[in-house]
Amino acid sequence: MIKYIVAALALGGVAGYLNDNWGNALAGNFVSDYLFNASLITLLFVMGLSFGLHREAMAELKKTGFKVLVVPFAIASGSILGGLVGGLVLGVNVFGSMAVSAGYGWYTLAGPLVGQLFGPEFGALGFTVNFLRELLTITTISLAVRIDRYAPIALGGATTMDTTLPIIVRYCGSEALITAFASGFTLSLIAPFTITAIAASQ
Amino acid sequence: MLNLIVPLVVGILLGYSLRDKKRVNLGGVTFWVIIVLIFSLGFSIGSSNELLSAMPRVGLNGVVILALAVFFSVVFVKIIGKMAKMK
Repeated sequence: MIKYIVAALALGGVAGYLNDNWGNALAGNFVSDYLFNASLITLLFVMGLSFGLHREAMAELKKTGFKVLVVPFAIASGSILGGLVGGLVLGVNVFGSMAVSAGYGWYTLAGPLVGQLFGPEFGALGFTVNFLRELLTITTISLAVRIDRYAPIALGGATTMDTTLPIIVRYCGSEALITAFASGFTLSLIAPFTITAIAASQ
Repeated sequence: MLNLIVPLVVGILLGYSLRDKKRVNLGGVTFWVIIVLIFSLGFSIGSSNELLSAMPRVGLNGVVILALAVFFSVVFVKIIGKMAKMK
């Protein structure tokens, strides 16, 4: 999955660069506005649809109730605090940096959404930070699990409901499955809301 | 902002109401939509010359923000875990 995403990003980047330097032959607005917004809206709809259709996820959330929300709440607070401190340290718009870290690793959402709300530079930052978060989760899982049994779930953020779930279960044990899935599920669900709420409160 | 929250909420409600009736595999659709989305994201990054010149700085800022976000996430989860064990 990641290699196709990197390839699509690189191809898009090269295409955009060439198009811009060869007299805008492709009508860049069409790709970067219409195609971009249409695919983002479709993605959000399809993500919502698959959440709703996921019988086990819904049932498990109902059974465990609000207790299961403690872990993703801790991860969300920690991520946003990290964004706040990072913004202050770097001297950039703290709302922008908080929105970037409120992607919780969901880079296909955070890049475009933060980009739409805070401009392309923060979009690139949102993509980079959340993309690296997923890569970091995958590459450092054997070290992270030694810090804390739930540290890989904290690192993975929103990705622990799909891409990083199999490796988390392998390293943290099958009892971590529900916590990891529910955490990733909750973070994926709240990511678009927290990002837009941060943008609205600036 | 509403144009992003509406499709998400509509999707969840529709999925929830359809979950007993339909077996749908959305993996393929999601994959291609993500590819189109990422391509157009790359396109707008690539066609913005100011952005390309800002990229090296974005990279360093990204590492700093990521490190702090991950650090506080792990610390908070560790604290929550300790509190749960005490009960």
